[in-house]
This record gives sequence, structure tokens and C-alpha cells, in this order.
Amino acid sequence: MNILEMNHIHKSFGSLEVIKDISLSVAEGEILSIIGPSGSGKSTILRCATMLETINGGEIIYMGEKAAYTDSSGSVIYAKGDKAKKINSNFGLVFQSFNLFPHYSVMKNITDAPIHVQKRNKTDVFNQARELLEKMGLLDKADYYPCQLSGGQQQRVSIARALCMNPKILFFDEPTSALDPELTLEILKVIRDLAKEHMTMVIVTHEMNFAKEVSNRIIFMENGVIVEETTPDKMFNSNNERTKAFLGKYHNMG
Amino acid sequence: MSFSTMLMQLSSGMVKTTGIFFWTIILSLPLGLFVSFGRMSKNPVLKNIVKIYISLMRGTPLMLQLMMVYYFPYLLFGMNIRTFRFPAIIIGFTINYAAYFAEIFRSGIESMPVGQYEAAKLLGYSKSQTFIKIILPQVIKRILPSITNEVITLVKDTSLAFSLAYMEMFTVAKQIVAKDATFTPFIVAAVFYYVFNFVVAFVMEHFEKKLSYYR
Amino acid sequence: MKKYVAILAAVCLAFGVSACGSSSSSSASGSAAASASASASSSASSSGETETSEGERTTFVVGFDAEYPPYGYMDDNGEYTGFDLELAQAVCDIEGWELVKTPINWDSKDMELNSGSIDCIWNGFTMNGREDDYTFSIPYVDNSQVIVVSEDSGINSLEDLSGKIVGVQAASAALTLLQSDEEGGQKALADTFASLQEFPDYNSAFVELQAGSIDAVAMDIGVANYQLKTRGEGYKILDEALNTEQYAVGFKKGNTELCDIVNKDLEELTNNGTVAELAEKYDISDLVCLEAE
Repeated sequence: MNILEMNHIHKSFGSLEVIKDISLSVAEGEILSIIGPSGSGKSTILRCATMLETINGGEIIYMGEKAAYTDSSGSVIYAKGDKAKKINSNFGLVFQSFNLFPHYSVMKNITDAPIHVQKRNKTDVFNQARELLEKMGLLDKADYYPCQLSGGQQQRVSIARALCMNPKILFFDEPTSALDPELTLEILKVIRDLAKEHMTMVIVTHEMNFAKEVSNRIIFMENGVIVEETTPDKMFNSNNERTKAFLGKYHNMG
Repeated sequence: MSFSTMLMQLSSGMVKTTGIFFWTIILSLPLGLFVSFGRMSKNPVLKNIVKIYISLMRGTPLMLQLMMVYYFPYLLFGMNIRTFRFPAIIIGFTINYAAYFAEIFRSGIESMPVGQYEAAKLLGYSKSQTFIKIILPQVIKRILPSITNEVITLVKDTSLAFSLAYMEMFTVAKQIVAKDATFTPFIVAAVFYYVFNFVVAFVMEHFEKKLSYYR
Repeated sequence: MKKYVAILAAVCLAFGVSACGSSSSSSASGSAAASASASASSSASSSGETETSEGERTTFVVGFDAEYPPYGYMDDNGEYTGFDLELAQAVCDIEGWELVKTPINWDSKDMELNSGSIDCIWNGFTMNGREDDYTFSIPYVDNSQVIVVSEDSGINSLEDLSGKIVGVQAASAALTLLQSDEEGGQKALADTFASLQEFPDYNSAFVELQAGSIDAVAMDIGVANYQLKTRGEGYKILDEALNTEQYAVGFKKGNTELCDIVNKDLEELTNNGTVAELAEKYDISDLVCLEAE
């Protein structure tokens, strides 16, 4: 069963069309990477999938339930109220800039929403948070505040925060772009570990080698359209001129 | 008049001054927050009404506003305003200070990075939860220095209640000065305002320190 | 954090309640400040009745400038007193009213009177030139507007004021007089001054006179006498007065019913010697113009 299906998505900012009729789906346990040059729309499609942007056309379906669809008159209808809440609980998002809550400790950042939004048992939540922090190697930082942590540590906390909500799918929006190379490795290791546990993930990234290594499938986007969608091996041996041009730039850089 | 009698008289004024101060703070801070919501509203009618209100409050003298509030019920409806002196002062100060506080709240709220709202939305917080738990605490930390400024100004502005002949400390001091032809009551008044503000600054600094555990 | 909020809230409540309490308890102590604030609310019980028959009146609210000795001011014990206020008390004693002394901001006296905040202005209130705006009682003091200068100023007559800076209280009778070009007005004299400087109160004017930033102050003779007595040596009153005029109690225009009662009582108080007694007490015997029949 597909966890996420996005069909014929259109998105414009004013007169600028940034997503042009994109369709994609993510199956359970699958890891999908989205690559492409800046301004190709790869972050925007993620923001559409997580309802941070409203689409101008198409449909978004989580676990078979329609989060958004286009009606016969062409206007987009979003799910509302409890249905929307239920749909939104399917996914989590890790931001490029972490967006931790600076006035909350690490522990409270992770546990506040599960306790006060999901109304889960406090003890359970704290136990889960401790497990997650241990996995992130941050158990000793539970009482720290975000400003006392390095960027890599903050990003690991934000991953733990997203995971503590028990999402069925986790989105990463360029999770390492704000980090130094060595801190990047910390994050990539965490994502690699999640992959081993068959966490369903969609990763927008500039780390080509990482995408190649960790993904089941890669989408290459340019100018708001999907240029190529295939397995990592095929992608990196593509005959498509644009794909080759894009990946070539990275190879030359490396 | 003996010095002790003078102090007695002035201290009864101090109690009233302090009363104006605390009533104004208690009422104008929450009102200011709601006014700032109106100021940031997407509804153009509400937004413009609030803009005009803020502009009037900031653009005309507080003393004039106090007199307008006091005489308003009489001028418009011919009502008897005999019992209205104290309420008029509190209303006058509150609507004036709410306007200033609203602009401070607005600057704080608008300075919050959009990422905080997005993170809260992704975690499923409702709009009111997001505001109360995530945004407001950070806004308060950001605007505390500006609030301190206004609060200190308010302590001194309470003396404008003399224009409605309310027996706060400055009015009493003026009357004793008129009778005794000496400046001593003014000096006592100055010391009182200074000490009051010293305490205000101390308390506010304490709050700032309490909130300095994060950046 | 929570603890401090709680403490702050407690303090707020304590002060807030006490401030509210003192302004709403009409049975507050005799202290002037308390009675003044009480005036705002003690009249709560009667405010609704002021427009009805005078027979039902229980309080008599006198508006006065508490910075205007010897007619209305704060005494050594912090109580409001003065010739006018004691006279008003005597009227209340006859009528069985409760006297409520309400200090007002002199600039706002018309508003206070018209809006019903006070029943009358009784505080060295010059009637001349204001007859059309108020209903006045019979005059009780012959006042004159005089000029106070420093003794060593070399100013001895009104002519010497030419080119000088003269101070005057805002909204006072002296100011009206110096701005009036009607019969008896002194605008022509004022035009010879270098400037006419308005002050909110006499204290500021005297400080400036002492400091030399103004040369003379125009004021009522009764006030001038009091100020010279309080401030001691160094000042003098010019022999030549600007005018003579009368003090009376000012009521809202058309309120003749209340005015008549006060007039009748003033006559009675004159005849039984109370007025003369009070005049002596406040050292204004030469000025009082009420004479026993």
C-alpha cells in the first residue's frame, strides 16, 4: 500500500509556476530521494506534501485518504477538522534550519507535542524520548536548551522530535544544508540507521553519494517537472542529457 | 505643615499613584495584546479601525485624552459624571498604554521566524496552542526591554492625573507647595518616583534574567 | 518564574484594591486627600437626585482650587480649609447637608460645573465679566487685582511695568482683566508689557519672580496678602490696583433654586456674626463686603 500518493500537482507563486503537473508515490518502507538544482521545485513539492503550501491543482492522498483534491470546478478542497488532524499525523518533517523551540529543553521539545497534542501517556512518551535520544547519542543532553547544542546535535534533536510523533513517513528538507561537512556525517548516519529500520522516508538533498547509497528510488527534478525517476544505479548511469549534465557538475566538484 | 504631616498627605497620594499604575498595567497589557491582533488582522476594516485608534492614542497628548474620557459621557449624553473621576483616569491610561503595548506586541510577534509556526503546525499544535505555548513566551522575551521602557514612563505619567484633580501624589504635592511656598514636597515626590522606578527596573531586570536561559 | 508572577499579581491586587477602596468609601478618615477622593464617589448616592427638588439634597459638592490660599487650600494638618470652605461648611450646617470638598483643576472648572461633578464653584471666584456664564450668589468679598513685585525692583507704579514681563495665573480673573479691552479692562496697560506670561499656579510664578525671570505677578489681593505673609520679606504690592471686583459663589447657569438657598444662608451668617468671625480668622476683614443689617 502506498503511504503517499501525489497526483498531477500544480503549484504557482503568483504568476510563477514552480510545480508543473508532478505525480509521485511512496510505498511503505521505501526511501525516496529528490535531487535537482536550486529552484527546481524539490523543496516546494515537500512543502506541498506536508501542507505547508497549498496546491493549486491535483490531489494528495495519505494511506488511501484524500488530504486534498481538485473538484469539478477546478478548485482545490482540503480535508478539514478531525479528518485533517488524522491525515496530518501520518507524516513528520525535518527542516533545513531545525526549527527547534528555543525556550524548551531538548526533552520538552521532543515530548510536548506527543503529550499535549496526541494526549499520550506521559511515562510512555518520556521512555520513548529517552530511547530516541540514546539512539541519537544525545541522552546526556536531555536537559540542555537548543542554543547550547551544535547544529548537528540540534538537527538530531529535531529528528527525534519528529520521530516521537510516530509518523508513518518522514520528510527531510535538505537536512544537512545548514551544517558543516563533519556535522553532516552525524545526520547522514542517523538517516542511514533509520533506513535499516525500514522507516519510510522522502529526502530532498544535495548529497548525491548519500542519495545513491541510501535510496530505493531517486527523482531528478528540474524547472518544476520530473526529468527522470529511477533506481540509484540507473540514475547515476543515465543517458538523459540533463541528468548527466546535473550529476556531472557534482562529479566534477568532487 | 510639619514634615510628618506632609509625608502622611503625600503617602496617601502615593497609594493612589500606585493604584493607577497597577490598574493600568493589569488592564492595558492584555488589551494591548488583543489590539495587536486587530492591528495584524486580515480583515481590512478591523485593521484600519485599530490603526486609527493607535494613531490617535499616540498622536495626541495623554492629558487631553484623560480629559476627553472624563467629560465624554457628559458632552455626548449629558450624563452626570460625579462618580466617574477614578474610572476615567484608569480608562484613559489603559487605552493610551494599550496602544503603545499593542505596537510593541506586534513588533515582537512579527519578528518571530515563520519556521516556529511551521514546526508547530507539523507537530499538530492548534493555532491557539501554537500562540500560547510556542510564540508568546518567545515574544515576551524579545519585547521585555521595550515593555520596561513603557512601564517606567507610566510611573511618571501617573502624575498627569492631576489634570482631573485626582489626589494622586503629584496633585497633593502641588497643593502643599501652594500652601507652604516650599519645594520640599516636590523633592519628596521626585524621590518617590525615582524609588518606584528603581524597583520597577529591578523587577523587570529580574524577569529578563529569568528568561536569559535561552537565545 | 511562576512564583514571581504570583507575587506581582498579589501586589497588584493589594494596591489595586486599596486604591479602589479609598476612592469608593465615603466614610474615609477626615484626611483631606481621602475626603477629596471620596467626593468622587460619596456623591454616588446623591448624584441621581441633584436635578430634582432641592428639598431632597443631602450633599453639597463645592469645587475649589486647592492651591488658592487663603480661600481654599490644604492646612497644616492636611485638611482642606480656607475662608470660602469654612463659609460653605457654615451653609451646610444650616441646611443639614454634608459638605463635599472637591478639588478641581481650575482650567476645567466650567466642565466640572456643567457636567454635574460639582454643585458650585466657591473659591475666590470673580463674578465681574462672567455674569452671563454663571448664576452668581450675592458678592461676599470686595476683591481687587493687584501687582506684586520684588521690593528692590524699582517698580512703584503701573506705568513702571512698561517693557516688563508680567506673570499671571492661567484662566484667572487677572488674565481676563489684562486681556479685556472693554470698559474697565486693562488691555491697554498689558500692551505696554514686554510680555504676559501665564503660569499654572502661583508657586511657579513666585519662583520665577524670585529668580528674576519675570518682573511682576498680577493676582487677587487676598492671595497676594497670603503669599507675602507666607514668603516673608522681599516683595511688595503696588498701591495702584488694576481694578476692583467682587467674589461670589458660581452656580450652573439657571440653577437659581440652589443659589437662593445659599444667598439666604449667607445673609443669616452675616447677621449672626459668623462671616465677620471667619474674615478675622483669615485676615481678610477689610475685604469682606457682606454687612449685617
